[in-house]
Amino acid sequence: MIVANYLVAGAVFCLGLVAVLGRRDLVKIIMGLSLMESSTYLLLVSLAYRKGSTAPVLAGRPSGVSQSDLVHGDVADPVLQNFCLTAIVIGVAVTAVFLAVAVRIAQHYRSVDADDIRELRG
Amino acid sequence: MHEPRTVQSVDGWHRPGLAVTVAAAVAVVLAIAYLGLHREEAGLPQIARHAMEIALPTWGTTEAVNEIVYGSRGFDTFGGTFLLLAAVVSVTTLTRSREPRDEYVGEATAGRREQQRVGAPTGTDRGERTARSAEAEEDEEEDPPLPDPDSLPLGDRAPERAAAMTVFVRTAARTAAVPLAVAGVYLMAWGYTPGGGFPAGAALTGIAVLLYAALGHRAVRAARPGLLEPVEMFGAAVIIGIGLVGLAVDGSFLVNWLPLAPQQTIRSGGTLQVFSAAELIEVGCGLTIAIFALLGMEHDWAAPDDAAGSGA
Repeated sequence: MIVANYLVAGAVFCLGLVAVLGRRDLVKIIMGLSLMESSTYLLLVSLAYRKGSTAPVLAGRPSGVSQSDLVHGDVADPVLQNFCLTAIVIGVAVTAVFLAVAVRIAQHYRSVDADDIRELRG
Repeated sequence: MHEPRTVQSVDGWHRPGLAVTVAAAVAVVLAIAYLGLHREEAGLPQIARHAMEIALPTWGTTEAVNEIVYGSRGFDTFGGTFLLLAAVVSVTTLTRSREPRDEYVGEATAGRREQQRVGAPTGTDRGERTARSAEAEEDEEEDPPLPDPDSLPLGDRAPERAAAMTVFVRTAARTAAVPLAVAGVYLMAWGYTPGGGFPAGAALTGIAVLLYAALGHRAVRAARPGLLEPVEMFGAAVIIGIGLVGLAVDGSFLVNWLPLAPQQTIRSGGTLQVFSAAELIEVGCGLTIAIFALLGMEHDWAAPDDAAGSGA
């Protein structure tokens, strides 16, 4: 029942969204964004899953199985695993930038409360 | 001289009802979309099957995920790499201190001590001193000044202020660092890991952070901006170079232009391996720069009066 994984990924995404929209602490907002990113990792890896499949690797095959059998056999989707790797790298980069901005805001406003940051308000 | 003040974390909510309503609506949309996705019985998409088929004949590698990361979808990885580079440049710019520094962490504390030893600040007049002492009296929450981290006994309570952890932690970190580094480079060199250079670079960053946490900032003195930033740019230049040579030799960006080696050797995969090694440099240096730049920010708090006076 891989659908359960999909629905859990959706639930984790929405939990992160609640934190981003509802919390006032900037660090908790960034944690919410991180949670939303993590939900996409779960979704992508779950989408790559195939029932009774092997890893998309052509080495270390059991005896009697040729590499051609592996190429045409049941494997997990390697393209979606690649998407997940890319998503992790970009997630780390984006989180680092957000944290740097949060520290600068804390230094400038002496607060990490999103409600205190109103200098651009018209 | 003002010591850093703490910023209290905030426990409040901002319109929680609205947030939950919006999230619930998004949840319904996501549930409908996710229930329509393919399940575990679905066949492999054409692009995935194609990647499995060309992994050996075109690239000479047995790792299909690596073939996609650096081969079939190499341009996507190229974009991801330079997005990471852009993020590292952003973090470096945002965290830049007011004075140029040679090291990421620890140097400011050492400099402050030296400045206090050489000469106390004398450039204030009587009025300012009176105002500052009155302000200091008013401010009951003022933290006591941080002790000199090197004068604290090892294993002190408050390990984040001591320069190093206990002898157990230090020995364990020293022991673990070498096998971890070898394992990280091995995974990249032999291509036996999905993504090659990405996880290997992250593992090397983890070693730098482990050594910093266990042994203090002196242990990671080698990780200084003057070294890491040129090395990272070198990694980025190698990636661009691989792509451009492919464009010149074979008419396609990031195509394999190296001869195919026997499979499951260190050279199998052609340009995949070079790309992966450059990615290791790029990711390892980039993440280390970002983490140490963030760790070093705490020393650069502006004094409250300066912030109000200059409008900064």
